[in-house]
Amino acid sequence: MNIEATGVQRSLRLPGILLILGLATELISLLWNKPLAFILFAFVGGVFFLAGILLYLFSLVSARA
Amino acid sequence: MHLPTPGALLIALLLISVILVAMIVFRPAITNSREGKMLAFLAFLILPVLCMFWGASEHIDRSKQTQFCLSCHVMEPYGKSLYVDDPAYVPAAHFQNHRIPVEEACYTCHTDYALYGGLRAKMEGLQHIYVQYLGTIPKTITLFKPFNNRECLHCHLGARSFESNPIHMAIMDSIKSNQMSCVTSGCHDTVHNVANLDHVKFWSPVQ
Repeated sequence: MNIEATGVQRSLRLPGILLILGLATELISLLWNKPLAFILFAFVGGVFFLAGILLYLFSLVSARA
Repeated sequence: MHLPTPGALLIALLLISVILVAMIVFRPAITNSREGKMLAFLAFLILPVLCMFWGASEHIDRSKQTQFCLSCHVMEPYGKSLYVDDPAYVPAAHFQNHRIPVEEACYTCHTDYALYGGLRAKMEGLQHIYVQYLGTIPKTITLFKPFNNRECLHCHLGARSFESNPIHMAIMDSIKSNQMSCVTSGCHDTVHNVANLDHVKFWSPVQ
């Protein structure tokens, strides 16, 4: 059975890792009840989320192209 | 039966999302099938967007809590002033008699009851965080702008106890137009008064 990742599957790795980092950041920010938690959520988690989602969408579009 | 809190549900959703994304990252062959592609779409787009909006809403709700405002060291005396045993202290009287929601005491009086008032409060909150961690905390803390009577009238206007006071009725136009301030024109001028906290008695709520 060929289990080697195709191009699209490989291109899911980076957005996936960014999204895991974003989700983990959000999780930490929710467990940390301090005003800095909001900054962590918005400016660190938000960047990871946006980058992950945009890269995922880009990987979908580029795969079709 | 105890229902899980929205915060706990969000944490559960975050964990599920992490597991799904990790599954696709480490076993990319899952996405070969149509169902796998749909799962990837759910894990990489739908769930993260949902988590982001829900998380933002949770953080915004949390930032309204009295405990949140008082978690900065500089705000401690203001929190303490809510327990002064003197009805002349306006915030203390409101807090102790539950005239405002005690869980959101600071936010209730210090938010701006106008369009985008909540948003403005959040932007000012970000400025507070900046000053707390990167700026210089002033020795005397003052409001960004004079306290607007609108914030008082939001609850008091139309209330029997407020309108049955002949003085309020006589100067109502001045109150509404902010020509006279509720808190600085000599009527209700004992507000937090944190400089005087060493000389007052405190009320202890019965647990």
